Amino acid sequence: MAKDPLAEAGFYFDELNKLRVLEPDVSQKTSELKEECKEFVDKIGQFQKIVGGLIELVDELAKEAETEKMKAIGARNLLKSVAKQREAQQQQLQALIAEKKIQLERYRVEYEALSKVESEQNEFIDQFILQK
Amino acid sequence: MRLKTSLLKEPKHILFICVGWTTADELYSCSDDHQILKWNLLTSETSLVVRLPENIYPIDLHWFPKTVGGKKQTQAEIFVLTSTDGKFHLASKIGRIEKSVEAHKGAVLAGRWNYDGTALITAGEDGQIKIWSINGMLRSTLANQGSPVYSVAWGPDSDRILYTSGKQLVIKPLQPSAKVTQWKAHDGVVLKVDWNSVNDLILSGGEDCKYKVWDSFGRLLYSSSSHDYPVTSLSWVPDGEVFAVGSFNTLRLCDKTGWSYALEMPNTGSVFSLAWSADGTQLAGACGNGHVIFAHVVEQHWEWKNFVITLTKRRTMQVRNVMNDAVDVLEFRDRVIKASLAYSHLVVATSLQCYVYKNWNTPLIFDLKEGTVSLILQAEKYFLLVDGAGLYTFSYEGRLISSPKFPGMRADILNAQSVSLSTDTIAVRDKNDEKVILLFDGLTGKALGDGKPLTHKLEVVEIALDQCGPSTERKIALIDKNRDLYLTSVRHLGREPKICKIGETMVHSMAWNDAANILCGIQDKQLTVWYYPSVVFTDKELLPKTLYIKDDSEFSRAPHILNYVGTKVTLRQGDGSLVYSSVPPYPALLHEYSASVRWEDALRLCRFAKDQSLWACLAGMAMANRELTTAEMAYAAIGELPRVQYINFIKEQPSKESCLAHILMFSGQVQEAEATLLQAGLIYQAIQVNIDLFNWERALELAVKHKTHVDTVLAYKEKFLQKFGRKETNKRFLQYAEGVEVDWEKIQAKIEMELSKEREKAAHASVRSSLAS
Repeated sequence: MAKDPLAEAGFYFDELNKLRVLEPDVSQKTSELKEECKEFVDKIGQFQKIVGGLIELVDELAKEAETEKMKAIGARNLLKSVAKQREAQQQQLQALIAEKKIQLERYRVEYEALSKVESEQNEFIDQFILQK
Repeated sequence: MRLKTSLLKEPKHILFICVGWTTADELYSCSDDHQILKWNLLTSETSLVVRLPENIYPIDLHWFPKTVGGKKQTQAEIFVLTSTDGKFHLASKIGRIEKSVEAHKGAVLAGRWNYDGTALITAGEDGQIKIWSINGMLRSTLANQGSPVYSVAWGPDSDRILYTSGKQLVIKPLQPSAKVTQWKAHDGVVLKVDWNSVNDLILSGGEDCKYKVWDSFGRLLYSSSSHDYPVTSLSWVPDGEVFAVGSFNTLRLCDKTGWSYALEMPNTGSVFSLAWSADGTQLAGACGNGHVIFAHVVEQHWEWKNFVITLTKRRTMQVRNVMNDAVDVLEFRDRVIKASLAYSHLVVATSLQCYVYKNWNTPLIFDLKEGTVSLILQAEKYFLLVDGAGLYTFSYEGRLISSPKFPGMRADILNAQSVSLSTDTIAVRDKNDEKVILLFDGLTGKALGDGKPLTHKLEVVEIALDQCGPSTERKIALIDKNRDLYLTSVRHLGREPKICKIGETMVHSMAWNDAANILCGIQDKQLTVWYYPSVVFTDKELLPKTLYIKDDSEFSRAPHILNYVGTKVTLRQGDGSLVYSSVPPYPALLHEYSASVRWEDALRLCRFAKDQSLWACLAGMAMANRELTTAEMAYAAIGELPRVQYINFIKEQPSKESCLAHILMFSGQVQEAEATLLQAGLIYQAIQVNIDLFNWERALELAVKHKTHVDTVLAYKEKFLQKFGRKETNKRFLQYAEGVEVDWEKIQAKIEMELSKEREKAAHASVRSSLAS
């Protein structure tokens, strides 16, 4: 095929018969590349979004794990201190019991003294009746 | 008795705080958050008084004393605040700091005003104790030791101080030369001390988790068992009947003898300081967790015959009649401060009024001048109120009868041991000189007799007036420092009254019966009843025979007699338990018969009871009333033959005067007997009395003075000396022996003549009196 003088001068016509300075092949490839690039950027963006979501999720998870851990530690400590608390409570109750016991002993002594007075008075009454 | 506590939900302070009362219903508190808060208990409001500068971390707070020696303080109300930077601050009621004084190196751990409000004492971490004038001028440095002084307290007369020194307690008088008392008090560091001005007892609490009660000589009276935590605070109630102890999550109310009434375990942390309000009804505690805990005493009991009264709430009392279980509830407008139940009357003092109940429906109410009644004593016809300003007697109709006054009166420190009341007399032990007992007429409030008080040879610790019989025979029993029991007459004519010892060994506590003049006491841990203590004035040797000792009454440590009503003695033992003991009812009956001159009945009672001690009482009573026939029989019944003989001898006396003189002689009142005879002109008889007692000097003196019977005296003396194979050495006798001739026959004749003269005179007098009648 004879060479197109226009082509030699670097001018081409495209399908729409417009005058162009770029070879149609190259132009086509370029646009193809452009498309691909765009696609690639899109995909990367999507990937980033997905990964971001993942990271967020993992972070959240970590946070939750952390709080759970703290809770567990707290609970463990609490458990440990409950024993101590019980001990203190027991001590308190023991002291109160001791106090009540002392009071009971006082009442017992008082009761005994009163019983003695009663028996003395009964004795006196008996004696009095017998002598009359 | 227990404490009822109340805490707010949220603490108002943070950390370390201290508290102090202004009135009975207003409290100031102060803490590390630099706030001074005011708590009003009536409206239960809490308000911020002032915010202190940032550099003041308060440690102790003490209000200037309100009343001084019964007088209201005119000085503006101020308080002292000590802080960690070594300063103390004088602040006014509105919280303005009037003055800050650099006092110690390191923190000032305690600051206390004395009772007169004339001085301030501060104790510091640097081990120094300093005394300041009321406007903050340094007077002196009283002590200097190597370790911090954690707590300090004034002695009752503000002339001594008590402070802590490591494990030891130190009492140091303000006078530089006076002796310092120091003793080891605890096994750990002593953290807190308090000294009560009414009962003179010392409290201490330390890191060995114990609290102890001491007397002012440093003798241990009570030591508590070990607590779980150190005792961080303690405080006497102003009238000295109870005290409060604070520790970690613990608040305890204890009797002055040390045993504990009640234990509370509020969630407070350590109670760092405790303060009672001036009327002794409210307690405030500064808690380690920033709370201020309030408490008041409830469930106090009063018992009399078949009534039991309980303070159920602050303003409510419950009366229970145990005979029929009837219950009455008494409501009061204000807080109950003191109450007393005796002689079928209930007297209740609230903060503003006084209620007198005879039945439970309609009390008699009158207003009180001063709010804080510290003591109520009752007698049959009236009662005595003691408040900060003075003593007042009121009738049960609410009328003011009298108010005795005396110089140097400090009514705020009187207690039941130092005041006694009977139907016509009030006795008060003088605080300035404890040997002296002041006596007042109950109805007029004037000093009795010539106004001269009764003075004993030793310091008196307890007094008690008898409750029955005519006022002329009022007796007072007193226990002195050596714990000897004495009895003496309150009303006497002219001469010094005789103070007779009636206790044999140490007597620890005593009480008169409410219906007869019978005294009971604790002697050697045994309950001893003096059926007729006045017998000591008529026949001393009869006294041991009139005693009733309860053999089986082996009480535990230090029993104290609460009352002696009817035939029942109520005692409180050292461990706080109440015990009762009954006394036979006969002696009270005998007292009644004797008072109403029914000697026949009295004799019958004694024959019926067949009790030696009753016979002895009767003998004493009959002799005191000059009822010779009954006395003779009673003496015969207890086998006192010499006395029976002497009574017969008295009966045979020719004249009334001789009779009287010999009755006086019987009770050992020689001088009175002699005076009676001389007054009746019976010179010889008076001389003979002295001769019989070998009182030669006096016999001769009388004989010479009246120029008669000098030879009689000399003759008897010579006979006496011959009997013992001795020579006359007395110059006066030798001198008169020279001029007088001794002739026994002549003397006998003279004596016979005197006696017949007396007989004649007596016969004449009786004829005359029979003619006149």
